[in-house]
Amino acid sequence: MNELITVKELSKTLGKVKAVNNISFSINNGELVAIQGHSGSGKSTLLSLLSGLEKQDEGEILFDNMKIGNMSEDDLALFRRKNVGIVFQSFNLIPTLNVVENIALPLFPTNINKKEMMAKAQKSAESVGLKDRLDHYPNELSGGEQQRVAIARALINDPKVLFADEPTGNLDSKTGKKILELLQSLNKEIGLTVVMVTHDDSIAKVCDRIIKLKDGGIQDE
Amino acid sequence: MLRYAVKELVKRKKKYALNILVISLVVVLLITLTSLNTAYKDASKLPFESIHSSIIVQKNGNVAENTTGALVSCSLAPIKKDLISNIKSLDGVSEVSYGLSLWVFDEDTFKRVLGVNWDDSLGRKIKSKIYVGSLPQSDEKIIVEKTFAQENNIILNQKIIISGEAFIVAGLSETSGKDIVSSDIYANLKPVQEMAYNSKNLQDTETFDRSDINIIFVDAKQTKVADVSEELDSLLNKQDSFSGKTPTGQKIGSYSIYTPESFENQISSIFNISDKIVLLLTIVILIGTALILFKSMAHAITERKKEFGIMKAVGFTNKDLKKQLTLEILIQVIVGFLIGILISLMVLFALSGLTVSVNIPWELNPYPHFLASNPSSVNTIQTYPLPIQFNPQQVILPMLSILIISFLTIHILLKNIGKLKPMEVLKYE
Repeated sequence: MNELITVKELSKTLGKVKAVNNISFSINNGELVAIQGHSGSGKSTLLSLLSGLEKQDEGEILFDNMKIGNMSEDDLALFRRKNVGIVFQSFNLIPTLNVVENIALPLFPTNINKKEMMAKAQKSAESVGLKDRLDHYPNELSGGEQQRVAIARALINDPKVLFADEPTGNLDSKTGKKILELLQSLNKEIGLTVVMVTHDDSIAKVCDRIIKLKDGGIQDE
Repeated sequence: MLRYAVKELVKRKKKYALNILVISLVVVLLITLTSLNTAYKDASKLPFESIHSSIIVQKNGNVAENTTGALVSCSLAPIKKDLISNIKSLDGVSEVSYGLSLWVFDEDTFKRVLGVNWDDSLGRKIKSKIYVGSLPQSDEKIIVEKTFAQENNIILNQKIIISGEAFIVAGLSETSGKDIVSSDIYANLKPVQEMAYNSKNLQDTETFDRSDINIIFVDAKQTKVADVSEELDSLLNKQDSFSGKTPTGQKIGSYSIYTPESFENQISSIFNISDKIVLLLTIVILIGTALILFKSMAHAITERKKEFGIMKAVGFTNKDLKKQLTLEILIQVIVGFLIGILISLMVLFALSGLTVSVNIPWELNPYPHFLASNPSSVNTIQTYPLPIQFNPQQVILPMLSILIISFLTIHILLKNIGKLKPMEVLKYE
């Protein structure tokens, strides 16, 4: 498999704490990877570095042979828009927009016409099973449905990788299982690379590979 | 992005209501203030509008010792007719008309008599007011003003005596009793000049030649009124010292030059708003608006920090965020403006019911103020409906001010949003 992400001697300090400490690894195209660790182990910081939400202090990240650590804030935003989808633990939907609009949010600043934008958003909504909830607002949806919206939003730009930070953390076990199955199916059926942060062993077990973190360093891979 | 902006404003209308209210209020205040200021200035020109002239020239003279026979009205000194050709030659002057205004204290009644040339602009204006009868075809024919005719039971073709001379009523006119140039009787200039020449009381007060006049109306192009007025002043008031002063403080022998602008200071009203007060109020309003809008927008943006974090996380650049916020502000400004203009129109409509009092200078007042027998004679104040109106140009100042304030606010606030890191607001761990 081709390497999609290559991490070399990556470090990031938050305050006085070295959240990510000199770690190196790579992620291949089409892999389903879990980043696991206890609270404070640096897993979310690592995910934010990989997805271009944060910049590293030291080391290098090569994303599809692009050095994302050297990019400006605006270039990083464009990089995220074109290459990655991000799903958060707390869904992070815009409360004033309905389902289809929330899904289309990453397309708002693009030149894509309104009709095409809405068609793409509807298709993305259908792919996560939200066909009948398009006009609903986030406060009218269950937690599982909100997370599906977040996943559909992350998929709308056909990203190369989907980063998910504790995607089932705010859901009950039954709903969490369904979300996990959805992420698995995206990985298996369309070959989407998925990098998932979790502290849950049962979730990590379904992944192709687990990167275990402890005190900012890789404990086990 | 427009869809998002509209939804943001509709879904959180309570949050943005203050901004829209402030914008509307500023529009109403600025439009009302400037409209009132303009209206009061325009009101000062109304006495001139009624005579369709730009400049009035009079010479200040001596006051008669007693009120008998014919006298030049308002203690105005006679003016030599030769002056007319000099005034006509001034740059910007389009027409000059003149007349002789007399107060005639006959035993039976007091009469205001105005001698005119029926072919000049003053004569034409009076001619247009004749509603019965015809223009005087000879020197013994006169026109009588309707109110005066009614008060004194005067009818068409009746013979009346003025300062010992007999005249026939050829027509009746309907002129406003308080107009600057209104009179009880209008006659050919020549017999009125004869009347003045033959008046012993008048000749004892001023030296009057047969061809003298005492009031000149100068029509000038609107843009040239101030220049013509200045030129007239330097042409007519060359003399450095004058022999004394009239009861109202005018230098005897000097010429008074009245323009619509010179009337501005004559407005007697508690609502008199000067340019300086309007400017000061405008500055205060705009500073207040800037502070309120800045605080309100800063608050709204702080509350939406998480949303901006989400937007940045999914690929919005700082330029995209600026575009989004600009759209939202622009919609608020447009809505606020439309509401403001609508309310302004209602306020201006309500204010149009007000009246404004214009104090006519004693020298220009057609009635002798000391003649207590005529109740209207002591009234030197003319009342007009306030000429307030909506001028689309008045929208430009508030619109530009609000847009500048809004975009400056966005620019300042965006500096903070630009530094915002999605991770800081989305809180992973």
